[in-house]
Amino acid sequence: MRSIRLFLYGIPMTLLVLLVAAFVNASFLSVAKKNEMSIGIIGEPSTLNPIQQADSASGQVAGLMFNGLLKYNQDIEMVGDLATTWDLSQETTFQFGSEEEATKALSLLNVKRASNSRSITTIARDGKNLTLTLSQPGLTDSENIAHILTATGLHPLPFPPLEKGGKERLFKAEPIIRFTLRKDVRWHDGAPFTSADVAFTYHAIMDERVASPRSSDFELVSSLETPDPYSVLVRYKKPFSPALLSWMQSILPSHLLEKVEPAKWSEIYNRHPVGTGPFKFGNWKTNEFIRLIKNPDYFRGSPWLDSVVFRVLPDPLTLQLAFQTKQVDFWAVDPWAVKSFEKDKRFDLFSSAGNMYNYIGWNLRRPMFQDLRVRKALAEAINIPQMIKYIIYGHGVQSNGIFTPKMWFYDPKVQPLPYDPKAAAALLDEAGWKPGPDGIRMKDGKRLSFTLLANNGNEVRRDIATLVQDDLKKIGVEVKVEIYEWSVLLKRFVNKGEFDAIVLGWGLGNDFDQYAIWHSSQTHPEELNFVGYNNPEVDHLLTDLRQEYSRPEIIRLAANLQQRIYENQPYTFLFVPEGTSVMWKNTYRIRRPGSKPGEWIDSPVTMTKAGWDYDMEWFYRPEYPPGAKR
Amino acid sequence: MTSFIIRRLALSAVLLFIISIISFFIVTLTPGSPYPWGELNPKISAEVKANFRKKFHLDRPLHEQYALIMRDLFTGNLRSIKDDRPVMSRILERLPATVALNLTSIVISLSFGTLLGVTAARYSGHWQDALSSFIAFLFIALPGFWITYMVVIALVKGFGVPILGTNSYGIEFPNGLASGLDTLWHLLLPATILALGGIASQSRYLRATMIESLREDYIRTARSKGLAEEVVLYKHALRNSIRPIIAGIGMVLPALIGGAVVIETIFAYPAMGRLGYEAVLERDYPTLVALNFVVAALVLLGNLISDLLSAAVDPRVRLE
Repeated sequence: MRSIRLFLYGIPMTLLVLLVAAFVNASFLSVAKKNEMSIGIIGEPSTLNPIQQADSASGQVAGLMFNGLLKYNQDIEMVGDLATTWDLSQETTFQFGSEEEATKALSLLNVKRASNSRSITTIARDGKNLTLTLSQPGLTDSENIAHILTATGLHPLPFPPLEKGGKERLFKAEPIIRFTLRKDVRWHDGAPFTSADVAFTYHAIMDERVASPRSSDFELVSSLETPDPYSVLVRYKKPFSPALLSWMQSILPSHLLEKVEPAKWSEIYNRHPVGTGPFKFGNWKTNEFIRLIKNPDYFRGSPWLDSVVFRVLPDPLTLQLAFQTKQVDFWAVDPWAVKSFEKDKRFDLFSSAGNMYNYIGWNLRRPMFQDLRVRKALAEAINIPQMIKYIIYGHGVQSNGIFTPKMWFYDPKVQPLPYDPKAAAALLDEAGWKPGPDGIRMKDGKRLSFTLLANNGNEVRRDIATLVQDDLKKIGVEVKVEIYEWSVLLKRFVNKGEFDAIVLGWGLGNDFDQYAIWHSSQTHPEELNFVGYNNPEVDHLLTDLRQEYSRPEIIRLAANLQQRIYENQPYTFLFVPEGTSVMWKNTYRIRRPGSKPGEWIDSPVTMTKAGWDYDMEWFYRPEYPPGAKR
Repeated sequence: MTSFIIRRLALSAVLLFIISIISFFIVTLTPGSPYPWGELNPKISAEVKANFRKKFHLDRPLHEQYALIMRDLFTGNLRSIKDDRPVMSRILERLPATVALNLTSIVISLSFGTLLGVTAARYSGHWQDALSSFIAFLFIALPGFWITYMVVIALVKGFGVPILGTNSYGIEFPNGLASGLDTLWHLLLPATILALGGIASQSRYLRATMIESLREDYIRTARSKGLAEEVVLYKHALRNSIRPIIAGIGMVLPALIGGAVVIETIFAYPAMGRLGYEAVLERDYPTLVALNFVVAALVLLGNLISDLLSAAVDPRVRLE
C-alpha cells in the first residue's frame, strides 16, 4: 500500500520540486558571459560546402569560414580577398582569307597603335590569324578596330555566333582575368593555399555530380590555367562583365576533396568543412547550433572572439524570444516595433535602406495593360506614400525603378510618379475607358476589372493588395484580390504567366545584370520575365550592360536602363523597405586593421554601406578587450 | 496466439504498403518544389534546375520515384534532398531528444493524471472533485499553443528566463549543478506543457472507471470485512480501474518518437516534430516518406502490443 501511495504522491511532488528548482536556477544564471558571439539563424543550414549551398542560413555560417578571391569592401567596391591583384585584359582574334592579308592588317594596326589606339598592348600574327591583346575587355574597342580594317579594304572573316540567334562578328573576343594570389594563406588544417585550390573549385562547380547552383556563373569560362602556385589565368568565351562578381565565390581545399567522389562529400566534408577564414569549424548539433572557433592563424590576424555560435531557430518569433532572453546578440526588428526600440536606451539600432523593392507586376499579355496610359494611370492612382506610412510605419522610401538606393549603379535622378488620382482619371478617359453604369470604367463593352494576386503569410503584400483595391476603386477600377499559398501562386499563375496582376518583391543584391528579369527572350513558362515585358531598346541595353567592364560606362548604361523601364511602367514600383537590426547596448565594439601596417582602428559598431555586420571578424566584447590577449 | 500474431503482422504489412503509397502521393502532389535556392531566383539557370532534378530522380514519373524511394528506404540508401545525408541517420539523431521529451511528458501526465483522477473519484461530489474537473476541462478546452504562448510570454517578459533549445548559451556555468539544472529546465518546461492535455484526459478516464469500480460488490465486501479505506481504494479499486490505461499503453510507442510540432517549434526543441515540420516546408520528400513510414509502423506495432497486453491482464479477452 505504501508503495502505491509513494508513487501516487511521490512522483508528482518530485517533479514539481525539480521544476521549481530548475526555474530558480534559470532565473539566477550568472551574467558571466563567455567570449562568444551568438547569432540566430532561421532554419537548419543544408550544407556548409559553399559551392553546394543556396539557402541564406548556410551562406551566413560558411561566410565566416571561407574566403573568395575577391570581396566587397565596406563601400561596396571590389577589393582582393585571397587575391592581391586581378588584371583584366582581352584577346581579340581576326581571321583572314590569306597570310598576305593578315600581314597587311598587322602593319596597318601597328601604325594605328603608334598614333593613338591606347588600348592595344600587343599584336601577333599566327598564319592567317591576327591576335591582339587589349588592356580592357569589352566589345567597343574591338568593333572600332574591325571598322578600321574594313574601311581600308581588308576583309576579316566572320566568326559564327556563340549562341543560337546571336550576332555574327568579325572577331573573336576573349576576356582574360589574371589573379595573383596571397602567399601567406593556410587552410585550417595547415596546408598552404595555392592556385590548385582555385582550379579545383572551378572544376568542382562545373562537375555535374556536384549539382552546384553556382554553375551558371562559370558557364562562359573557356579555360582556367595555373602557370604557377600563385597565379590563375581565367579565359572567357566572350565578354560578360558580371563574371567578375562570381570570383567572390568561396574557394574549396583541393587537397581534401580532389580524390573523393562528390557523392561522399556530405559525409567527409560538408558538415565539418575546412576553410581559410577567420573562424574554424567547431561542432554542429542538428537543429540546435553550429559553433565556430577562432582561427588564430588567420592571414589577416586572429579574431578577438573565442567563438561564434549560430543558433538554429525555427521562425522569427523564436528569434525574438532568444534575443529578449539574451540568447542571441542581434535581431532584425519588424518595422512596427522600431519606434519602441528607438526610445529604449538599452539597445543599439542599425538601420539602412534595403536591397529589396515591392511592386505590382502587370501582365502585359492582357490587352487592358498593353496601353501605357492605363499603366501610368494605375501607378498615379495608387497612394504609395500612404502605403509607406501605414504598412511599414514610415521605414522606407518610394521606389523609382529596378535598382535600389544602396547599389553603386543606382540613379537617384529618376523621378517617381506622384500620387495624382485626377491625372490618373484623365489618362483613363483619354485611353477610352469611360465610367459605366455601375461606376466601373468601360471600353468596347469591357469593364476595367482585374484580379490582383498575393501570397499567403506575407502581411506586407496582403496589405498592399488591400490598399490598391481601395485606391483604384476611387478612379473607377475594380480590383478583386485573391491570396494563395506561395507554391500554389507560382505553380498556377506566375510560372505559366497566367494572371492579371500580382504583388511581389525583388531582392537582388549588387548585380547590375537583370537580363533574366527584363529581356524579351525570358518570357517562357518558369522564366522570370513573367509579366511578358518586351522592349527592343531595353533588350539592347541589357545585352550591352553585361558586356561592359568599365565602371563609369556601367553606371551610364544602368541609369539609362532604370529610366527606360521606369518610363514604361511594366510594374508599378512601390517602395523599398528599410531594414533595422538591434543589439543590446554596447555588446560589441570593432577593432579592425587600419590602412597602415600595425595600425588598429577602434570604433563602436556602426552602419556602413555594406551593412553594420560587415566586419564581424573584428567584433569584440568590451569585457574581453583585445589588448589583454595579444 | 501465434497464428493471431502472424495474421496481424501480415495484415500490418499490407496496411503499411497502402499507407506508404498514400503518404508518398500526398507529399509529392503538394504544390511546391524542394529547390534549396527558393523559387524566382534569377541566378539559377534551367540547366542547374535540370541537374538538380536528375540528381534526386525528380525528373522521373511519379510511380518510378515511388519505387526508387521504397528501394532506397529498404536498402538504407535513402538520402535527404535537403542535406544529402541518409534519412535514417537524420531520424536517429533526433531520437535521444525526442524520447527524453516524450518520456518525461508521459511520466508527468500519467503521474499527475492518476493523482488527479484518484482524488476526484475518492471525493466524488465534493469540492476536490469539482476542482479536479475544472482543471481537467480547462486543459482540454484551451488550445495547447495558446497556453504555451501565455507561459512563454510570462517567463520571457516577466523573468527574462532562457527557454529555447536544450540548454542556455554563451554563459559560463559556475558548477555542474547549475548546468544540470539548466538542462533539466529546458526539458521539464516543454514536457510539462506537452503533458497538460494528457493529465486532463488521464484524470477524467480514471475518475470515471474508478467511480464505477467503487460501486462494485467486491468493494462493498472489502469495506464490510473491515479493510482500511486506503487499502480498499488503492489495492482493490485502483487495480481494477487501470485497464483503460493499459489499453492506451500501445499508443505510448508511437508517442515516444512522434513529434509535438507546435511545442517543439515554440521552444526550438530539436526533436522529431521539427524534423517533420521543416521537411514539409522544404518539400524534402524522402525524409517525409521515411518519417511517415516509421511512425505508421510503430502505430501498428503499438496496437498489436496493447491487444496482447489486454489479453494478458484480462482473461476475458480472447485473441482470435
